[in-house]
Amino acid sequence: MGFFDDKQDWLEIVFRNYPPENRRAAVMPLLRKVQQEEGHVSPERIREIAEILGTTATEVRGVMSFYSYYQAVPTGKYHLQVCATLSCKLAGAEELWDTLRAELGVGPGEVTPDGLFSIQKVECLGSCHTAPVVQVNDEPYLECMNRERLRALLEGLRAGKPLEEIELPGDCGHEVRKEGA
Amino acid sequence: MSEGFIVSGHDPRFERTLYAHVGRPDAHTLDYYLGHGGYEAARKALASMTPDEVIEEVKRSGLRGRGGAGFPTGLKWSFMPKDDGQQHYIIMNADESEPGSFKDRYILEDDPHQAIEGMILAGYAIRATKGYIYIRGEYRRAYDRLVAAIEEAYARGYLGKNLFGSGFDFDLYVHRGAGAYICGEETALMNSLEGLRANPRLKPPFPAQKGLFGKPTTINNVETIASVVHIVARGSDWFAQMGYDKSKGMKLYQVSGPAVRPGVYELPMGTTFRELIYDWAGGVREPIKALIPGGSSTPMLPFNDDTLDTPMDYEHLAEKGSMLGTGGVILIPERACVVDVIWNLVRFYGHESCGKCTPCREGVAGWLVKLLGQIERGRGKPGDLELIEDLLDNIEGKSFCPLADAAVWPVRGALRHFRHEFERHIEEGRCPLEKKGFWG
Ligand SMILES: Cc1cc2nc3c(=O)[nH]c(=O)nc-3n(C[C@H](O)[C@H](O)[C@H](O)COP(=O)(O)O)c2cc1C
Ligand code: SF4
Ligand code: FES
Repeated sequence: MGFFDDKQDWLEIVFRNYPPENRRAAVMPLLRKVQQEEGHVSPERIREIAEILGTTATEVRGVMSFYSYYQAVPTGKYHLQVCATLSCKLAGAEELWDTLRAELGVGPGEVTPDGLFSIQKVECLGSCHTAPVVQVNDEPYLECMNRERLRALLEGLRAGKPLEEIELPGDCGHEVRKEGA
Repeated sequence: MSEGFIVSGHDPRFERTLYAHVGRPDAHTLDYYLGHGGYEAARKALASMTPDEVIEEVKRSGLRGRGGAGFPTGLKWSFMPKDDGQQHYIIMNADESEPGSFKDRYILEDDPHQAIEGMILAGYAIRATKGYIYIRGEYRRAYDRLVAAIEEAYARGYLGKNLFGSGFDFDLYVHRGAGAYICGEETALMNSLEGLRANPRLKPPFPAQKGLFGKPTTINNVETIASVVHIVARGSDWFAQMGYDKSKGMKLYQVSGPAVRPGVYELPMGTTFRELIYDWAGGVREPIKALIPGGSSTPMLPFNDDTLDTPMDYEHLAEKGSMLGTGGVILIPERACVVDVIWNLVRFYGHESCGKCTPCREGVAGWLVKLLGQIERGRGKPGDLELIEDLLDNIEGKSFCPLADAAVWPVRGALRHFRHEFERHIEEGRCPLEKKGFWG
């Protein structure tokens, strides 16, 4: 069965966002939907998307490979994305990455044997004032990460807790302002 | 302090608008927004101003684009054709991916109706009945809040048909990115939105002639469009009272790095670094050697009195050999190595190069990354810095889009002010700074 067979209503809503003569504009939301639910976008799904959009698999693959979010190989249930850009680096992103690699025993493109975790370095997430930053799947950011907070995150996820229920101990260690002050 | 232009957040006449409600509970809801004067600017404009009058008001205000380049907004709007019978589009650029920038995010998270109202005004002015908000894919909370706000607005008649009984229809859509910095460049963004690979397009034709889906299009940054709400509500004189000569209005400055209170601060254009860093961000937590003034593409400046007393606006920063950019200030601590810092940024731009043109693909992603990487790893050779400078000359201004320039500028700034650090790296064949644990 196709991935989108039972999602016709959802598709219709997505297509309403674009002019009817530009159906292929919906390629990104369709890719995202598959990535979200299946953890990667397989060649089979690429063909399915191409068919829905009236384009070729090559075109869809071309778009897909342009972005860092869509994955061609399977990811873990929790795909941990570590920001590696300047502010996060200055706040310890490299140590965070090394710790994560050692702790999980995986490198980029791999998944832990229990299927739970995969890791990826990403670029500036737009949260430099709360560096270092980690994003799990496409959930809201985990900010001001340190050893204790990382440990609590992994423990919580291993225990099967939903992300929003995992309490990260401590805080940024500095005030964070976003109000008009 | 109470005469002349407002160039300090301490001026009693200064009042926060863009971020007045950010951080307050429920500020993202329609009821809160309406309870704080929400949609009054749009109501006023649609009832009592022609589209051209809105454009004139924005022109008079002196507002310049907050996405980085500082192009005059009213002028950009006046390029849109009139009575051409075509569909026009307004696009809000919420891709916010320039390292050091995170100001647009909280408008969308905490005050999404402000963004929607700005889109109605901009759409009305340029005669666009359809608008898109292109939001970077990682901004999950902002996306959720934005979509919820748009639904609320439709349900209560603030979007859709015949807004405020004026006969003006406006539909608003959200498109999510998926992790590619180049999508912030306006023509790449349009390709991304159309479902194509996000390579920049050749200009001309400019977006105002042939933009999204081949139709006349205007694209502006989130902060730019939100500023229009307050220009219409309070008048262009109010806006132009803030800032210096050609840099007007309020600005969202960002501070990251070891400040006491890193974050976003709304201040009058022309506020000094000293005021931002010491008065608002509470000072620094450790010795600082440099600052990047406006997002990672802007050349760094040494952290000294001369820099600290510089007003943060387009002209004053240009005089110092740098740029206002997005207003994202990054503090570089003394213990950090400038070579390492620049290597991280050049690697970023190399990674984000779309590969379309040779100066960027071969020059930035290829040679610049390679040469700086070698120096960083202690394998630099005498003559490498001259080679790099030669390379920079061959890239700057010669690429298809400004991404390659954005990689060149930080290197130039670092070589100008911290050349000795690069030289030591090459001479000693290693990083002279002990890499201390940054990781708490
Ligand atoms: C590589 C590159 C990335 C850009 N990224 C952004 C961005 O994330 N957000 C933004 O508003 N403008 C970005 N811009 C600038 C846009 O191309 C465009 O000038 C801007 O959105 C216009 O809006 P404004 O006039 O309101 O500033 C980028 C430009 C380049 C060359
Ligand atoms: S400068 Fe870089 S990002 Fe811009 S078109 Fe050329 S290769 Fe692409
Ligand atoms: S550098 Fe990591 S969020 Fe900006």
